[in-house]
Amino acid sequence: MSENLRFRDVFDAIADPTRRQLMKLLTEAEEVPLHELTSQFEMGRTAVSKHLTILKEANLVVDRKVGRETRYRLNAAPLKEVQDWVAFYSKFWSINMMRLDQLLKEEEE
Amino acid sequence: MSLTLELNYEYTTSVGKLWSALTDSSKLAKWVANIHTGQGMDNDFKPVVGHRFQFRTQATEYWNGIIEGEVLIVEEPYRLSYTWESGEKHTVTWTLQDLGNGKVNLHLEQTGISNPQALAGAKYGWSKWCDELEKVLV
Repeated sequence: MSENLRFRDVFDAIADPTRRQLMKLLTEAEEVPLHELTSQFEMGRTAVSKHLTILKEANLVVDRKVGRETRYRLNAAPLKEVQDWVAFYSKFWSINMMRLDQLLKEEEE
Repeated sequence: MSLTLELNYEYTTSVGKLWSALTDSSKLAKWVANIHTGQGMDNDFKPVVGHRFQFRTQATEYWNGIIEGEVLIVEEPYRLSYTWESGEKHTVTWTLQDLGNGKVNLHLEQTGISNPQALAGAKYGWSKWCDELEKVLV
């Protein structure tokens, strides 16, 4: 249960470009070992690890140990919260613009 | 830095009638609705620059049900812009374009959609990021 506990706001987690880049890299493969992720950045391993920890706290990545290596995988589900934020307005106006269409048709009759 | 929402809708009507539907308070109340209840929103909108207005719907546990705004641009009958505030302050701009043959295109642009926390430090376009989100969520 504690694994699923979210410590960090998802909006916070994705505010940083490095973390977005990390997530993008993780969309390209099922599971990526830390050293492969690190090699994509100019910053050191510790800095990349720190970003991964933040993503982990927001439940956006899941890690597991395989031998001496840590592998990371993306968990996209919390992103829905971000999508909903924009989708709300999109839905609001789309539905109401259709209602306007109906209103204009009724006025014609 | 923030997200922009853009929508287009083609209506079979005249520019004048569409403008009236966008600016007349009683007509607005017929189509600008609470999408959960389908109830039109009471409002005191007037197409006068500087006019402050409210759209009201039932309050919920999470929201007082009030959207406030101020009219920014009135270029009858082609462009209308106002702020749209409920928690965040957005700007809504409507652009009407006569397509001929009794068709009018209505373009909506809503800007300023953001989450202040989320945008701190964000260095590239959010729209682009949202495209990525769509892919990830499929």
